[in-house]
Amino acid sequence: MAHQDDIALMAHLMRRAGFGAGRDELEARVAKGYEATVEELLHREAQPPVDAYTLLRYQPASLLPGGQPPMGNLNWMYYLVNTKRPLEEKTALFWHHVFATGNSKVDNYDQLLEQIEIFRQRGLGSYRDLLLEMAKNPTMIFWLDNNQNHGKAVNENWGRELLELFSLGAGNYTEKDVRESSRAFTGWTFETKIPRAPYGRFPWKFEYRPEDHDDGEKEFLGHKGRFNGEDIINIIVQQPACARFICRHLYNFFVADEAQVPAWPIEQPRDPKAIDTLAGTFKDSNFDMTATLRVLFNSDFFKNARFQHMKSPAEVVVGTLRLVGGHELPRPGYGELSMNTAYMGQDLLNPPSVEGWHTGKEWINSGSLMARVNFCAEKIGDPALPGVRAIINRLKAKGTLSPDQLVDGCLDLLGPVEIGADTRKELAAQATAWGQTSWDNDSNAKLADLHTSQMLQLIVATREYQFA
Amino acid sequence: MPLTTVASGRVYDWSHAVGRGAARGTGFNYPQTMCLGKGGIVYTANRGNENNFGMHVNKVKLGGPGEEELLADFFDYGEGDGHSTWPFGVATDDQDHVYVSDEWENSISVFDTSGKFLRKWGTTGSGDGELLRPAGLAVEKNGNVIVVDSGNNRLQVFSPEGKFVGKCGKAGSGPGEFNQPWGITLDKDGNIFVADWKNHRVQKLTNQGKPLMSIGEYGAIEAPEDSYAVTYMGPFIAAASEKAGNPSPGKFNHPTDVAVDSDGDIYVADWGNHRVCVFDSAGNPITSLVGDAHVLSKWGQQSIDANPDMMKARRRVKSLEPQWRFCFPTAVDFDPETDTVIVADSQRNRLQIYKKVRDYTDFQANL
Repeated sequence: MAHQDDIALMAHLMRRAGFGAGRDELEARVAKGYEATVEELLHREAQPPVDAYTLLRYQPASLLPGGQPPMGNLNWMYYLVNTKRPLEEKTALFWHHVFATGNSKVDNYDQLLEQIEIFRQRGLGSYRDLLLEMAKNPTMIFWLDNNQNHGKAVNENWGRELLELFSLGAGNYTEKDVRESSRAFTGWTFETKIPRAPYGRFPWKFEYRPEDHDDGEKEFLGHKGRFNGEDIINIIVQQPACARFICRHLYNFFVADEAQVPAWPIEQPRDPKAIDTLAGTFKDSNFDMTATLRVLFNSDFFKNARFQHMKSPAEVVVGTLRLVGGHELPRPGYGELSMNTAYMGQDLLNPPSVEGWHTGKEWINSGSLMARVNFCAEKIGDPALPGVRAIINRLKAKGTLSPDQLVDGCLDLLGPVEIGADTRKELAAQATAWGQTSWDNDSNAKLADLHTSQMLQLIVATREYQFA
Repeated sequence: MPLTTVASGRVYDWSHAVGRGAARGTGFNYPQTMCLGKGGIVYTANRGNENNFGMHVNKVKLGGPGEEELLADFFDYGEGDGHSTWPFGVATDDQDHVYVSDEWENSISVFDTSGKFLRKWGTTGSGDGELLRPAGLAVEKNGNVIVVDSGNNRLQVFSPEGKFVGKCGKAGSGPGEFNQPWGITLDKDGNIFVADWKNHRVQKLTNQGKPLMSIGEYGAIEAPEDSYAVTYMGPFIAAASEKAGNPSPGKFNHPTDVAVDSDGDIYVADWGNHRVCVFDSAGNPITSLVGDAHVLSKWGQQSIDANPDMMKARRRVKSLEPQWRFCFPTAVDFDPETDTVIVADSQRNRLQIYKKVRDYTDFQANL
């Protein structure tokens, strides 16, 4: 029998490095050990990839979905729900937060999915290489107008966001650096792609046009030379501000909620020592994300940060679907299912701006909170779903439950979830009104199933359940 | 790749393409399967998308290049008789009645040749006569309907009215066993060919279900270095076409359909490898077709003519080769009346048609 503290810690790891886990999986992972689990998560290749062919068999329109939801959303949701490489998908979500690129302008969900695939393949590798890949990524080039950045007519959109949002953060460069960076990326564009009519979507392809590149001398962050784009990236990643900026993003996403990104120049990190530790590893490992995340997940600051992070809508929806089970095949209605993150304020593949989403408490407003509660309550309240059934069966195996035991058992198997005294009092009052929970005959069992699923619904509706 | 493929005494000449991306009307919407009716008629079961349009069966009369004609649309999305959720298999009988499977509703619906609903059957389950995700369909000479009961990994035979007649197969990878099979065809002797999708092979069975032959094993396309990925799952266009990354003959990646021509040659829609593989009647590999749609279809050209921006963009494209190639071809049929191989090019929402040339004479080599 796994120790309860070990279960709680493993549940914390799986919520952050993935999208949560049911009790059977948690117990199996505890048996393997915490550090071994971290290694397994980091070495994604040890687990099989998502079966994309099954998705295409049932939902062929999800491969090249064009500009209209929900087929692109459906595609990613299928991966999120089915992946056996949770950290790979979680890291893809992390980079989607950072390199936020949206369908509102791109109008090609297929290109956005291609970008997500890059995050899967390279998101746990070198940040420097990923940054270079993004600079060459046609979807990003179009999103930030670098196809309009010409040798004799500079467009600064990419050059600015590269510094402000993708690497250094405001306050760590000058307007001249923006100009010089932009000049270095002139000529970085894409080929004309085969248009959508009459046979559907085709992808862009990166193209470097030397005749459109400003090859003159540039002065960038104190360096002088006839820099091209790759030189700019090599200079950027050597800046101490780069390591601190990316690691603060990591901290905000994986550890605990930070202030919103625009406030970072004026607000100190929540845990400066943690940022120092991560930034040191980031730099020493040559910007290797696996090495940096290994330190993060094994650190005390991570282990002690339970429930210090407001679940994003993606975490709410995917975590719930993985917990309740039964959503592995892309059945009819999967598209609408996948749009639930948008109803909660996170329209995946379509962030509100290049700045991405504001996180933490800003996820919550009266509408989004209702959407969260209703979604979770609907799913967790369905005892026919295999994950819900598994929770009920574990409680059933304990025999007749007192009201307190029902509350404790449900809290335990949904997380464990930690709640305040007031919340507990409310839950206990309801359980007391129901009396004992017993599966000792058919009539009682029906009632016990109902009360258990209703208790689960009450718990997912609590304030505390919104935290991971 | 050449437009005329010559291999082992066979000649395949690319003829033309039919269709374009369209939820309804003159085009296709992710065709899952296809079948031939009489007189060059093709019926296509279109899957559509989650906005709940595009699901339907369309009836198209083929012909030479530019002669195609849309004759009917039916079995569109909705509840009740004559409507569908996930159309999949389609087959016709000798009265030109059209049988269509719905793999979500677990039913078989029957229409007359104009698309008028006649009847349907099907209940969900794994018992005799019950269905789970029915896929391809074929009609025997005696009128019985063979259903690829994919979720149950078996074939079931029904009378034209839907009465259970027999079954064969079970889950597994041995002879006569299946793993989520997809398409089916019958040869002129009534032998059964099944695309055993997740086992990456085609199985040939007698009309009583006895295994006779298995073709193929797993082998997936790999992206050649510096190739252009048409989708992240291929096809991949390499600078040199011979390096296009096609796996060896006889290797399949999730084959979806099979056809047999009047000579006994076998055609397999090698879906995940974006090609159609040709075998002789003994299962020896002959050649592969990878799609050669270098000329727009009639309906495709109409789309371009109606939208000058599309034409402008096309004229700036460096290479249109990615558009020529198959992208997840789902279905293949052979029309003995015209000696044509018809391929449903699913992600491109069109058919590509090749002529099997009988009287080909070679040209002077010193032209």
